[in-house]
Amino acid sequence: MNQPTDFLYIAVILVSIGIYGLVVKRNALRLIFSIELIANAVNLALIAFSRMLPSPQGQIFVLFSIAISAAEVAVGLGIIIIAYRFYKDIDITEFRNLKN
Amino acid sequence: MIDIFSTPALVTIILGSVALLIPILDALNKERGSKNKVYSAIAFGALALALAVVISRIFTGENLPALSLTNNGVIADDIFGAFFSIAFLIVSIMVTVSSWSYMKKKSNHAAYYSLILLSSIGMILIGYSTDFVMLLVAWELMSIPTYALAAFSKRDPVSNEAAIKYFLFGALSSAIIILGMGIVYGLTGTTNIYDSVVGMTTLNPDLMPFALLAVALFIAGFGFKMGLVPFHMWLPDTYSGAPTTIATLLAAGTKKAGFAAAIRVIVIGLIALNVHWTITLAIIAIFTMTLGNLGALTQKSIPRILAYSSIAQAGYILIGLAVAPYTNYGLDASLLQILNHAVMKSAAFVAAAAVIITIGAYTIEKYRGLGYRMPITALVLAVALLSLAGVPPLNGFWGKYLIFGSAIDAGDQAWWAPYLAIAGVLNSALSLGYYIWIIRKMYMEEGENRIRQKEPRPIVAVLLFALGFMVLFGIWYGPLLDLASMAVPNDLTHLIAAR
Repeated sequence: MNQPTDFLYIAVILVSIGIYGLVVKRNALRLIFSIELIANAVNLALIAFSRMLPSPQGQIFVLFSIAISAAEVAVGLGIIIIAYRFYKDIDITEFRNLKN
Repeated sequence: MIDIFSTPALVTIILGSVALLIPILDALNKERGSKNKVYSAIAFGALALALAVVISRIFTGENLPALSLTNNGVIADDIFGAFFSIAFLIVSIMVTVSSWSYMKKKSNHAAYYSLILLSSIGMILIGYSTDFVMLLVAWELMSIPTYALAAFSKRDPVSNEAAIKYFLFGALSSAIIILGMGIVYGLTGTTNIYDSVVGMTTLNPDLMPFALLAVALFIAGFGFKMGLVPFHMWLPDTYSGAPTTIATLLAAGTKKAGFAAAIRVIVIGLIALNVHWTITLAIIAIFTMTLGNLGALTQKSIPRILAYSSIAQAGYILIGLAVAPYTNYGLDASLLQILNHAVMKSAAFVAAAAVIITIGAYTIEKYRGLGYRMPITALVLAVALLSLAGVPPLNGFWGKYLIFGSAIDAGDQAWWAPYLAIAGVLNSALSLGYYIWIIRKMYMEEGENRIRQKEPRPIVAVLLFALGFMVLFGIWYGPLLDLASMAVPNDLTHLIAAR
């Protein structure tokens, strides 16, 4: 469990779970979780690559990536809180005002 | 090392300091009352100064490279970036000035203008970035403010719904882009775009599927922002639900930033990997323009029609990218169309915003008789629509003409390229259907009344600027084309020959 390739396998599994969540779930928060799972799986893979190659750029990349996804999620949660005030629910299938 | 006096650094400093200054001013200001005009004027000043810096650097600075491929830094001071900066800054200026009227009755002006400036910095840096880390940071700097801006009408459920759709797809697209960048980094061990593209050419053939997966992920990730067809679902909802000035920024600004990133990464990457894969871009281009135009025909709300039309326009621009490896002026034509489309689409959306704030009309039925009620707005909207359709002698014609010409030119080496031109011409004819329909409603049909409405003055100024741009550069298209061809390296085809 100490080889860098093991971390790559875990990253692939995490990406798959994220894609499954995006396809199946309809709750806005769960969708954000799934997207974050994909992004964090990539972070894990980047660190593993950085160790395997070896090169320091991957770890710098991860630091930027973590900070950016935190900012992104903060904005997204804000939007979802406002949506909850309107609909008392965050199921994205409920949001159909724009279809007509 | 980044030179502090290079164009991207200067522009970032100008816009960034003003973007941070506006909220501080707002916090310090104890007086009650709206400061909309003040902030709008400050933001306009900063954007105009940045535009002056970018343009002056092109003409008076030392010889800038066209599209600097071999750059070790994270940003390169080149004409390619400057060209996109000009497009983004023109769009941001049009958005800022028209917001003067649009935001009059709304609150939180400081945050609004500050976010527009931050988003502009992101877009500009995308055009200049030569490193994946920089590209990711710039991409998010562009995207995150626009999520907040799309949700800006807090009390309006429609704006909120638009923002949720935009946010979910936007966050997914950035996750996909990071995934693609992660794969490229794993394969080549570098985050510099050119080094990794070179690394791809010497890749072990067993690892080739991963390289193609990375390119596919980049097409999907950037395609979400560009509004290419399998990834376009959010676009009509967001453009029609978001505040109309923000829809302008999205349709004319962030969409073009997607193209900047795509040219930097995908086109160069595909040329290095294997030229034959550009046929995927060609297939996406055909689907994008056809579905965009068919979608627009069935819509009744003007912002939605404009949104579908911008999907179709992305298809035309993509033709130039798809044939770029085979002909010298595929990318020139695309760049010309990108700048032209930025102005045309901004003009159309700003005109729609003027109609919304003056008579509160969204649907095409309410546009009847607009030629009498709001003559300037109706005139510019009509010219913008004709220009989008590609009617000579407006500027949209030259972009399309050169794109289709380059597709035919590429026919020597790629059997499918002339079909792209045929599809494009047929689609232009199809698109005239709904453009002419809107114009007919405005001028030929009787509206509720013929009372002339007072048109908001800042928006009239923006519209007249756009009208001047569309007509002037339609008749005298030479300078823009020269600028576009300065931005594209001549040795792009040599890159293929070197393979």
